[in-house]
Amino acid sequence: MSNSTGATAISANETPADDDYFTNVEGVGFIPRDIYKYVTSDPVGDLPRYSVHIVIQHFLTVATFMVLVSTGLPLYFSDLFWAPYVISLFGGADTARLIHRIAGFAMIFTCAYHVLTIICGTVRRILNKEFDYKRTQLPRFKDLFDLIHDIKYFLGIEPYRPKMEKFMYKQKLHYLAIIWGNSVLIAAGSALLFPDIMAKIFPETLAKLLPTAAEKGGSFPAFFQELARLMHADEAVMALIVLSFWHFINVHFVPGRFPFQWTFFTGKITREHQIEEHFLEYIRNLEEIPEEREYIKGLLREKGFDQSQVVSVSDLPRV
Amino acid sequence: MIASLWLAAAMILLLLSSPAVAADKENCLMCHKYRFVGRIDENGKRFNYNVDENIYARSVHRNVACRECHTYITKIPHDPVTESVNCANECHIKPPFSKEKFSHKKIIDIYNESVHAIKPEDSPELREAKPYCKFCHLNPLYTRVDEKLIAFEKTLRRCLNCHQEKGVTQAYKHMTHRLRKKTSRSHQELVELCSKCHQDKELMGKFNVSKKSLEAVETYNRSIHGKSIALGSQQTADCVSCHASNMLHDIYKKDNTKATIHKDNLMQTCKQCHAQTNSWFIQIAVHPSIERDENPVVYFAGIFFRFALYGSLLSMVGLMLFETFGRKRDGIKFLLRHGTTWRGKSKRFG
Ligand code: HEC
Ligand code: HEC
Ligand code: HEC
Ligand code: HEC
Ligand code: HEC
Ligand code: HEC
Ligand code: HEC
Repeated sequence: MSNSTGATAISANETPADDDYFTNVEGVGFIPRDIYKYVTSDPVGDLPRYSVHIVIQHFLTVATFMVLVSTGLPLYFSDLFWAPYVISLFGGADTARLIHRIAGFAMIFTCAYHVLTIICGTVRRILNKEFDYKRTQLPRFKDLFDLIHDIKYFLGIEPYRPKMEKFMYKQKLHYLAIIWGNSVLIAAGSALLFPDIMAKIFPETLAKLLPTAAEKGGSFPAFFQELARLMHADEAVMALIVLSFWHFINVHFVPGRFPFQWTFFTGKITREHQIEEHFLEYIRNLEEIPEEREYIKGLLREKGFDQSQVVSVSDLPRV
Repeated sequence: MIASLWLAAAMILLLLSSPAVAADKENCLMCHKYRFVGRIDENGKRFNYNVDENIYARSVHRNVACRECHTYITKIPHDPVTESVNCANECHIKPPFSKEKFSHKKIIDIYNESVHAIKPEDSPELREAKPYCKFCHLNPLYTRVDEKLIAFEKTLRRCLNCHQEKGVTQAYKHMTHRLRKKTSRSHQELVELCSKCHQDKELMGKFNVSKKSLEAVETYNRSIHGKSIALGSQQTADCVSCHASNMLHDIYKKDNTKATIHKDNLMQTCKQCHAQTNSWFIQIAVHPSIERDENPVVYFAGIFFRFALYGSLLSMVGLMLFETFGRKRDGIKFLLRHGTTWRGKSKRFG
């Protein structure tokens, strides 16, 4: 089977609705789109999703983020009544500042670790000729179409959710946002931590590049520092809001995920979730994991999906 | 005319002995130690003239006799007081290494040049608004650093070889509380002190000061220095850290070449804490105010970020709620059974 998942050809001569309904997987059979309603999932997860490195990085990120938020926010909102209490939990303003820096460096370390993991993993896959950009976080047009498809589904226009890859549009959006957010936080944070050094590096360099602009008055340092102050705080508040109102709720509190998804801990995803939101990745799982293939075959047989479809199959490569 | 109520009249008769206070050779505390010594003026306003011996004995002026400041008191019981104390008075104390009587002359000279000094051309209103010595220095505020932090016993062991414990401890305290930090008042107290006037926009607005000057406290409180100080930091800058040198009273307008905030002196001022200070760094605003006409890019970036914040929050929560309703319609429920998920009958398509 090739990398372009030729295995996921769909039957051509069905009604349009059924077009999407069955997916023919070679050696398994026709898998209906709502099969996830019949599978039994292990709450702790059935199928591999994240390596142990990613799990560790997630833990580090959670820990550093919480420390950073709880030492940073009270400083930003120092005039609000709760700020002194929160600061005192960390042993006063000066200790809190120190903790904030240590956590900041831990966060930068986590980022570096993550980048390294990604680079090594990518190189390894390329060398093994396993690399497929569709399984990565790289945004594609398909993500936009998936979003539209999903909105239609939630409106009741489309009968089934889109068939998505390992990372769906929401996750890619979030990942991109994190890349942007972390870069801003790190850059602006170093301007706040080393204002004297950064003022020399950044505005001075820029002034050399743009002598005319610099002549108009040395407003460069003031400008960049103001921007850093603004962006550091705004990005942080944004991150907090996104995490508490979106990420956390999306992952653990929405129906179907409630009360808890263990993926961040076990690195595994439940079968049902994989089929529903990452169907194309599930197909790959079928290729890669023989036991999973046996399981789904058994299930199709049990539910009577194995004989009903007698169709000719043409190999339509997926979008 | 002042209608005085001699509340203490009876007390004069009660010649109670009190613990000796070094300064109280004139026995003023005989009356003034009572908690409710005071008077009520014709408007019904109460004044309390109690002097707490214990606090007084620990104050910086503990060795100065009462009458060296309250010079106008010449007999006891004394007449109603109409004068006030002059900080330029000389007292009997002779500082070591000098033969002159001690006074605050040096400081008064500096003060007289500073922006807060009263100048002949000042309007009466401005005179009234400027802080004189006694505005900033009332004894209760003049507290010292926590001396628990100083290892007295260990440090003084040598001194005791030659000196009496009492004298040398005092001498040592006198020096150390000035050595450790620029000021012995806490940063928070100093910000509070300067803010008393500079926060009062109505008051300061009368004196033809710049907009920046008018908003100085507000903008300072918005800066990282101000926020850290507000939360109790001991390391960041208060008003005096930047606006005065170690002479403490040399506060000037920024265009005065003697001012610590004059652009030629800023390098020195910031270097107290920022070791890598350079000519670029000192251009950073420490009283930050994001004005539309001065800093349009940051101003609009701020607005843009607000929109981005609320925009993404709304759209994300919207999408999530939308999805939740969509999925619920598909029969997915919140339930604690079967691990993470439980499905019911779909409400769609029959
Ligand atoms: C016999 C008791 C007594 C003794 C001794 C005494 N005082 Fe007083 N003092 C009073 C009373 C009572 C008042 C309030 C009377 C008033 O306002 O007229 C007062 C008021 C004052 C005031 C405040 C006046 C004002 O209106 O601001 C000062 C200052 C003062 N005393 C200083 C001293 C000093 C210095 C000494 C020692 C040299 C001293 N007193 C000794 C009873 C005494
Ligand atoms: C270093 C100078 C100094 C010394 C020493 C001093 N005082 Fe005062 N005292 C002042 C000043 C300044 C005021 C504020 C009122 C004024 O400006 O006259 C004041 C005010 C007072 C008042 C009136 C409080 C009020 O609200 O107006 C009393 C009572 C008083 N002093 C008593 C004493 C007594 C008793 C002693 C001795 C134990 C003493 N003082 C020593 C400087 C001094
Ligand atoms: C070798 C004995 C010796 C030791 C140890 C010593 N001193 Fe002195 N100290 C003296 C003498 C003697 C004088 C008087 C000097 C003079 O008048 O010329 C003096 C004077 C002083 C004075 C000035 C007092 C005045 O009223 O003029 C101070 C303050 C002082 N010492 C503080 C200290 C401190 C603080 C220590 C401990 C760190 C210390 N000394 C250790 C012998 C000593
Ligand atoms: C704007 C407020 C202000 C005014 C007005 C003011 N001072 Fe001060 N002064 C201070 C501050 C702040 C300190 C530092 C106090 C500390 O160390 O905690 C200080 C310290 C002092 C000290 C102690 C110096 C040292 O090194 O320990 C003396 C003495 C003094 N002032 C005298 C005066 C005299 C005399 C006047 C009147 C001419 C005056 N001050 C006016 C704010 C003021
Ligand atoms: C009693 C009120 C008062 C207090 C307390 C006070 N100031 Fe002032 N300050 C004034 C007034 C009034 C002016 C305006 C003087 C003028 O314009 O001539 C002024 C002017 C200034 C200026 C010059 C600003 C300008 O635009 O002219 C600076 C800087 C300053 N003060 C700093 C301080 C600092 C630092 C402190 C605290 C140690 C302090 N002030 C405490 C009343 C006060
Ligand atoms: C980190 C150092 C720093 C601190 C802390 C600080 N200032 Fe300033 N302040 C400055 C500088 C620098 C300027 C000159 C600003 C400029 O050039 O526009 C200034 C300007 C001012 C002015 C206007 C002076 C003029 O001549 O225009 C006032 C008033 C003022 N500050 C008051 C305060 C007060 C009150 C506080 C404490 C609440 C304070 N500052 C804290 C550094 C500081
Ligand atoms: C009394 C010490 C002190 C003085 C004086 C001082 N600072 Fe600071 N400043 C600090 C501390 C502490 C921080 C916090 C740094 C941190 O947490 O890493 C800081 C942070 C900063 C920052 C970074 C935070 C931000 O809001 O951008 C800038 C810029 C800055 N100071 C500018 C100045 C300038 C300009 C001066 C001179 C006018 C000055 N400081 C004088 C102690 C001081």
